[in-house]
Amino acid sequence: MGTISRRIACTTIIWIEGNDCASKKIKNYERKGGYMVQSKKQKYLFLAFCLVPTLAIFSVFTLYPLFNGLYYSLFSWSGSSSAAEFIGLSNYTKLFNDEIIPKTIYHDYFLVVAKVIGIMILATFFAVALTQLRIKEAPFYRIVFFFPNIMSVVVIGILWMFIYNPSLGLINSGLEFLGLDSWTRPWLGNENWALPSLVLPSVWAGIGLFMLMLMGGISNVSKSYYEAAEIDGANEWQQFWKVTLPLIWPQIKISILYIVITTLNGSFIIVQVMTGGGPNNSTHVMGSYLYQQAFQQYNFGYGATIGVMILILSLITVLIMQFFMRREKVEY
Amino acid sequence: MKRKGSFLSRIGIRIPLILWTLAVLYPIFWMFIGSFKSNAEIYANPWGLPRIFNFQNFSQAWTEYNIDTSVFNSLIVTVLGAVLTLVLAVPTSYALERMFFRGNRFLFTLYVSAMMIPTVLGWIPLFFLLMQLNLLDNIFGLAIVYAVSQLPFSIFVLSSFMGTIPRALEESAAIDGLSPYGVLWKIITPLSMTGIITVTIMNAIQFWNEYFMALIFLQSEENYTLALAIDYISNEAEYTNAWGTLFASLTIAIIPVIILYAIFQRRIAKGMTEGAIKG
Repeated sequence: MGTISRRIACTTIIWIEGNDCASKKIKNYERKGGYMVQSKKQKYLFLAFCLVPTLAIFSVFTLYPLFNGLYYSLFSWSGSSSAAEFIGLSNYTKLFNDEIIPKTIYHDYFLVVAKVIGIMILATFFAVALTQLRIKEAPFYRIVFFFPNIMSVVVIGILWMFIYNPSLGLINSGLEFLGLDSWTRPWLGNENWALPSLVLPSVWAGIGLFMLMLMGGISNVSKSYYEAAEIDGANEWQQFWKVTLPLIWPQIKISILYIVITTLNGSFIIVQVMTGGGPNNSTHVMGSYLYQQAFQQYNFGYGATIGVMILILSLITVLIMQFFMRREKVEY
Repeated sequence: MKRKGSFLSRIGIRIPLILWTLAVLYPIFWMFIGSFKSNAEIYANPWGLPRIFNFQNFSQAWTEYNIDTSVFNSLIVTVLGAVLTLVLAVPTSYALERMFFRGNRFLFTLYVSAMMIPTVLGWIPLFFLLMQLNLLDNIFGLAIVYAVSQLPFSIFVLSSFMGTIPRALEESAAIDGLSPYGVLWKIITPLSMTGIITVTIMNAIQFWNEYFMALIFLQSEENYTLALAIDYISNEAEYTNAWGTLFASLTIAIIPVIILYAIFQRRIAKGMTEGAIKG
């Protein structure tokens, strides 16, 4: 008797628990839908409240202009609404025959390559120095090096215009001080030197961010790898090449991609501030040329065509880079 | 990890670090100094200390070059833009992070991929759109454009922050009868305050510094933001040689950024690296 009643009690408990379980499941299910006591209608109302206003404004001010830009590139248009004339692909023919276009593309990629090399070498060096070699005042350097990243491009550009100033500037004064008078030149006013001169301010302004990204990567590398390498007799230089570099490859890859994207999408800002594309178009990049064509000479259709070119070139560049930088994740 | 000759090598490693520190700080320091110098002194001794500090450059910038109006405009655009970004980004981030509905992933990808796409192309149609809406040459129009431009970044950072809030809190609030609107406002918003502050500081700095969109979408001098006013003074200075005034206005532009950086240095650095690592 005793055993039977016990068994009954047991099943009851199981039954109750099972029920509880089921109700939990229902709750879980409802939770996935959003809210427990909400009806479907209320849920959708809330979703609409959250999503629709933002999406609407985003569509009007970002998506619509982007697609409309593609459409504009088929027109010859000087701004007033009546004068828009459909000219098909003529803007694109003009683009391919425009002598300045290949120059602007070359200038853009020159800046991309120079910035990637300059920033990555210096940022990697500083990141390793500040993490691996125990330097007491490392946080001070980190704070200082990052600061130019949040300065306005206008401030950076104007400061560097002074540094390059032919008569007052720091660079020419420094060269004169060192007795290298023959090296002095009007840096930004010289067709050959203006573009390379733009690299230094960009590197100066960019290093901090990438240094921090790489430092984040390095601090995740376990100390034991270095200890193992040390036991195997690897010197610091070998440790850097064989341990640090492969293990922070993901961060390096992201940094390079980020430099390329931001340069292609934004190098024209510093160009606009410092040289305006001159002297004699020697520093025009695609974006500054678009600005000149559209907003200074009112060739809006042609400007949009240049914009389409920027879009296509940067998408292709990013795709190609992602293909070449695919490298198996290293794990030791 | 004791190394032979590490003392020497550490001095060696400090040389490039100190040189780069000088390269970063000296131009900024020099800009402050320059803003206290008379024009004659700038020419005579461009890179040294001033003999007497005078504030004449600041008053001149403030009154003669309408920096006062520009500071005011920049403040409005910055505050309005930052607030609008939050109003638009917080509910969307919450819905994208915590609600399940068809198209969730697609919408998130749409916003995030907008971070990678060059927006230059869109600026030409945007110019005419703002013209039709009577928002061209209008600082309120600029604030909207700014807010939308920072939406993808803000949604990205905010939703990753909201992902760390335990679900149990929302559930118990909902059991207590709080509506989803209440959960969003009274539970989620206060709990993601760290993320909201980070995003807002970064957006504010971005809006305060922004130059190119202002250049395109603002035209009359009384609407100039600080960046445009400085660019204008800089272009004028080639003829007027009012370098002292230029330095003074650069100083005015950079001081709020320095103050924010001094207070929120860690957050700014963290926010920017996370924004970049999105991949």
